[in-house]
Amino acid sequence: MSEKLLEIKDLHASVGDKEIIKGLNLTINKGEVHAIMGPNGAGKSSLSYVLSGKDGYNVTSGSITFKGKDLLSLSTEERAQAGLFLSMQLPTEIPGVVASSFLKQSLNSIRKAHNEPELDTINFVKLMRAEAEKLNFPQEMLKRFVNVGFSGGEKKRFETLQIALLKPDFCILDEIDSGVDVDAIKTISEGINNLKNNKNAFLIITHHEQLLTQIVPDYVHILANGKIIKTGDKTLASKIEKSGYTEFPQEK
Amino acid sequence: MTLPLIKSVDLFLNNKPSVFALRETAKKALQKTGFPTLKTETWKYTNITPILQSNFDINTEESSCGHDCCCHEREATSDFPFIEIRFCRGKLHVEEYNTPKGLSVTPLPLALYEDDYKRYLFNSFDLEKHPFAALNGIYLEQGICITVEKNTKITSPVLIKYNQNHCENLQTHLHNLIVMEKGSQLDLIEEIVSDDGFSHLTNIVNELYLKADARLNHYKIQKESSCAHHLSLNAVKTQTNSSYMQFYFSNGAKISRQETFINLEQQGAKAEIYSAYKVKKDCLSDITTNINHLIKETFSNQYAKAVLQEKSAATFQGKIHIAPYAVKTAGTQLHKALYLNNDAQLNCKPELEIYADDVKCSHGASCGEIDKEQLFYLNSRGINQEKAKQMLINAHLEEIFSFIPNEKIKNYFLSKNIFS
Repeated sequence: MSEKLLEIKDLHASVGDKEIIKGLNLTINKGEVHAIMGPNGAGKSSLSYVLSGKDGYNVTSGSITFKGKDLLSLSTEERAQAGLFLSMQLPTEIPGVVASSFLKQSLNSIRKAHNEPELDTINFVKLMRAEAEKLNFPQEMLKRFVNVGFSGGEKKRFETLQIALLKPDFCILDEIDSGVDVDAIKTISEGINNLKNNKNAFLIITHHEQLLTQIVPDYVHILANGKIIKTGDKTLASKIEKSGYTEFPQEK
Repeated sequence: MTLPLIKSVDLFLNNKPSVFALRETAKKALQKTGFPTLKTETWKYTNITPILQSNFDINTEESSCGHDCCCHEREATSDFPFIEIRFCRGKLHVEEYNTPKGLSVTPLPLALYEDDYKRYLFNSFDLEKHPFAALNGIYLEQGICITVEKNTKITSPVLIKYNQNHCENLQTHLHNLIVMEKGSQLDLIEEIVSDDGFSHLTNIVNELYLKADARLNHYKIQKESSCAHHLSLNAVKTQTNSSYMQFYFSNGAKISRQETFINLEQQGAKAEIYSAYKVKKDCLSDITTNINHLIKETFSNQYAKAVLQEKSAATFQGKIHIAPYAVKTAGTQLHKALYLNNDAQLNCKPELEIYADDVKCSHGASCGEIDKEQLFYLNSRGINQEKAKQMLINAHLEEIFSFIPNEKIKNYFLSKNIFS
């Protein structure tokens, strides 16, 4: 019997006056990988921001239940502490914040929220180095400022490193393959595949089938005009790759 | 004309004509100009009336402090040996300095006694243009003279620590001379500390002479009480291909002003000033610079970052003067401020006086609030609002650390949590 991790029911959300999510339903169980594909402007990234509680993305009706709790009543940081992780399409550069101290602060904030003892510098560095090595992430870069001067691939690998360290239960990967070369996609995919287990779940937002041949989804959804218009298995992704979105009817 | 802050005190060597004459020169200069007012162009944003009204005393105690004083704590570690010079309540801790070959450290009273360094005193700035440096000169007594010999690279930094604790109601004047002989190199760190609650005036004048090819990296950490007053001058003279780098980190004071006056006198001379400062409560922080490009092919760069909290005020006045014929020079200036409160006030006054063609000069200023995208990124990683904001405030300031050329010194400053 699969266990529900995330349940979105008839979700409506808007940015300013503009409705961007228009009655979206989605259930994700533990151990599953879901992919969301869809044309530009369909609301894919907006969905990821609504899930992580970004300012300006307002839920007007519907519900989101995460691990049995009302996700919408939690702040962004509480959602992260509860085990939700958003790997951003364009990870933000933060000049002045050193990558390693950011990772330490993040991990310890989450540990603290779970009443676990915070890691001291020595133990943290050991852990960070071990995980970075697995992902082929250069140790030198951890001394640099968060995402500053990182290449596209390095930014996404740094997001993956965060997943490896924070071990969230639910990860949204928003175009983790954009701006990344073939070799880096391989490293990132391997990293994600190694992190997959029967307790967590992934929601992959992508434009390309290629990523989905490496991180194989259990379900593929097509999101258009703010709602899911079709759900299928991995073969749906290859259909889209061949013939685009035009053959799927879009309600207006 | 009677002026505030001038007390009749019995200074060391007042009976020695050469020393007496120096103090008299300073006194005459101040009597001529008087203290600045808000009508004085370079002081229009910094109201010093509270300092003039304070009637601060002079510390007339002979020795510096007792043995249980906190200034006995040393910063040096076996991993990072500093050469430490310590002042407490404005008096030098007389001790044996374990100086490497090529570095000499002489207490100012001794230098005055022996008439050493005389040609360097009051020679790097105009007493009539720097009234508080003139005030400092009237009390010329305490300070340190450092010389680095020709072609000598001193690997251990020299740390001058000023412990201003228990200086309640005192004015402290220190005068240091730094002479960098041809091709010499030194890292000099100044650290001024006092705990919250103490009200005093700290006035430090550094005269810095860089001969040809000399390199001086000068760091200053000012971390005094939010009731303290701090007025200081760094006056720098640089010769051919020498390089002066200044890093100023300030956590504010009731009124603080760091003034830097640099003469780039010979070709290839270079000066860089990096500042990071945080102002809180109703404190006022003033950074004033004046860089004179007196000859062709000289370079200067200034980058300052500020954080303004509560009802604080900050002033950044940066003057770049390029003399006629000083062609192929470059002078740049940038100030970035982070506002955390609508009641905070920032005055930015760039002044570019360019009398030569074929020069590259620029200035810029920006101010803004905490970046929402950065805040979201940190929050989305489980870091709470307050902590995330703190991280971004420190990040804004700590960008300046990335320009520190010495990794060990950079880590030392980072470990000190200057801005917390």
